Amino acid sequence: MKKILVLVLVLTFGSLLISCAQRKVVQPQQPTVTQQETKAKAPEGKTEQKVPEEKITEQQIAKIETKEVETLKYTEEKSIFEDIHFDFDKYDIRPDAKPIVQSVADWLIKNKSSEVLIEGHCDERGTNEYNLALGDRRAKATKDYLVALGVASSRIDIISYGEEKPLCTEKTEECWQKNRRAHFVLVKSKSK
Amino acid sequence: MKKKLKVKSLKFKVLLIAFCFVLFTFNPPEPPFTKGGLGGIKAEAKVYIDIASPALKKLPIAIYDFGGLSGKEISDIIKDDLEFTGIFTYVDRAAYIESPSQSFNPKNWTPLGVEIVVKGTVKEGKELTLTASLFDVFEGKEILKKEYTAGKELIRPLSHTVANDIYEALTGKAGVFRSRIALIGEDRGVTDIYIMDWDGKRISRLGLKENIILSPRWSRDGTKLIYSAEMNRQWGIYLLNFLNTAVKKVFSSKGTNIVGDLLPDGNEFVFSSSKDGNLDLYMMSLKNDTIKKLTSSQSIEVSPTISPDSGHIAFVSDRGGSPQIYVMHRDGSDVRRITFTGSYNTSPSWSPKGDRIVFSGRRETNQIFVINPDGTGLTQLTIQGNNEDPSFSPDGRFITFSSDRDGVKGIYIMRINGESQKRITPKKMRAFCPRWSPN
Repeated sequence: MKKILVLVLVLTFGSLLISCAQRKVVQPQQPTVTQQETKAKAPEGKTEQKVPEEKITEQQIAKIETKEVETLKYTEEKSIFEDIHFDFDKYDIRPDAKPIVQSVADWLIKNKSSEVLIEGHCDERGTNEYNLALGDRRAKATKDYLVALGVASSRIDIISYGEEKPLCTEKTEECWQKNRRAHFVLVKSKSK
Repeated sequence: MKKKLKVKSLKFKVLLIAFCFVLFTFNPPEPPFTKGGLGGIKAEAKVYIDIASPALKKLPIAIYDFGGLSGKEISDIIKDDLEFTGIFTYVDRAAYIESPSQSFNPKNWTPLGVEIVVKGTVKEGKELTLTASLFDVFEGKEILKKEYTAGKELIRPLSHTVANDIYEALTGKAGVFRSRIALIGEDRGVTDIYIMDWDGKRISRLGLKENIILSPRWSRDGTKLIYSAEMNRQWGIYLLNFLNTAVKKVFSSKGTNIVGDLLPDGNEFVFSSSKDGNLDLYMMSLKNDTIKKLTSSQSIEVSPTISPDSGHIAFVSDRGGSPQIYVMHRDGSDVRRITFTGSYNTSPSWSPKGDRIVFSGRRETNQIFVINPDGTGLTQLTIQGNNEDPSFSPDGRFITFSSDRDGVKGIYIMRINGESQKRITPKKMRAFCPRWSPN
């Protein structure tokens, strides 16, 4: 009876036994222990361990190079227009901003060779990423308004700076209001 | 006949033992204590402290000064690592009865209430050679003994490795003490990515050339960072590979382009772009540069982050009138809003298991919250100052975030229940967008 039982067990667990046996041989005899295999060791034998190499070394950090260099395709001129301002977390053009955008439109319509870059900015409240998105919407809302006033869309470029380029750094509502702005920059293409 | 039977019964024993070993090794989803001994027969699998237990009793631990020139520094690093986890009570060295040279005797420790003792020695030659031993007072025996060698400049990673081994021996879980945090630091108006240890030490500046840099995100293997940067009046998405120390611009267009997240396989990334006029979410393949649009709406869609199983994307949208956290399938289908409290919820990030999402929510000031991906279980973790950009540690037990509570915005860490909040970047350094490395 026992004989049969043993036989059955042999057949059933034969394959598992093989995998066990393989494990037995490989695991404890591993001479160098890597970080990943640093499980608890039987305390009887002292285990040698070399502290693994750093994943990101100082040498690697020192070598990092960005190939891209700043080559602006246009030059920027000092803005002759006022900034327009926005409410907190909003990107619609406020009534007080409309005359300013109108004056920008009038000037651009008169000066046909000029192009404008609209920068969208935010105050420091809120997260950097969401503010970058919000600044994008502020610049785009301003561009859309200029286009509605008759300026060709191809003459208007936009960029968001989010909260990354504040005009004012105090934590006051007055300061935050100054930062929630769209800024107009006249640009000249270098190729022209 | 008798003899033969004996042999067979021995075989039988071996089989049984092997079977037990198979059961033990392959069946439990997370073996709490992987044995390295002969075939794992001694399957005690003792877990000294069950970190998943809600009624966790702290484990009293004694850690000796390892002696020599660097011994105190090493044991202090180990002590700081273990203490921050909140699952150990450190018993001060002044109370120890046993001198470091005496051999371990449990009778010296039970009166002090100490349950675990860490002893060690350091040899300083060209390299540091450190021997560490871990003793179980209750059972009166050594449960871990290891020798480590490392260059002297690697004293901190060396000590963190010892702390990891101790932590794993006692909890059955891998420690995170060798993990690092990537962040954005600002120095005289110039932003750059910095990398530091999880405790804020060994901070290094990468020296990237782009003008404004935001949102570094790790690849799952910890060898790459994807980030957003402005250069030439354009927002581009850049991939930094630490192995070949190269930076590659992987996407740029007119408008705003912001990552996002690398998918776990490292071959695709999700990002937000206004290339078609409106900020929508996209998935791009790094293999063949194909781009798939995931959302199409007139609102802001930003900060997509992929769940650990790659199945879902959490993101921020203001489609409901204010920025809120949404979750959808990775193909953009089945969009569900998960935050309904507060009018400004941003910066979602998944826990390593995918069972929680941490984010920053505005309640007059910005605070860190966790929520379940189905929108239940909202819990506030911070109250002071403005707290942003949260992300989990690789074991899901800690959170790093930025805060301006002490004036200049800096990087903080805390436990996932909000305990032990501490600043880890220098007081005067402006730092934000921290991201915990995956390993």
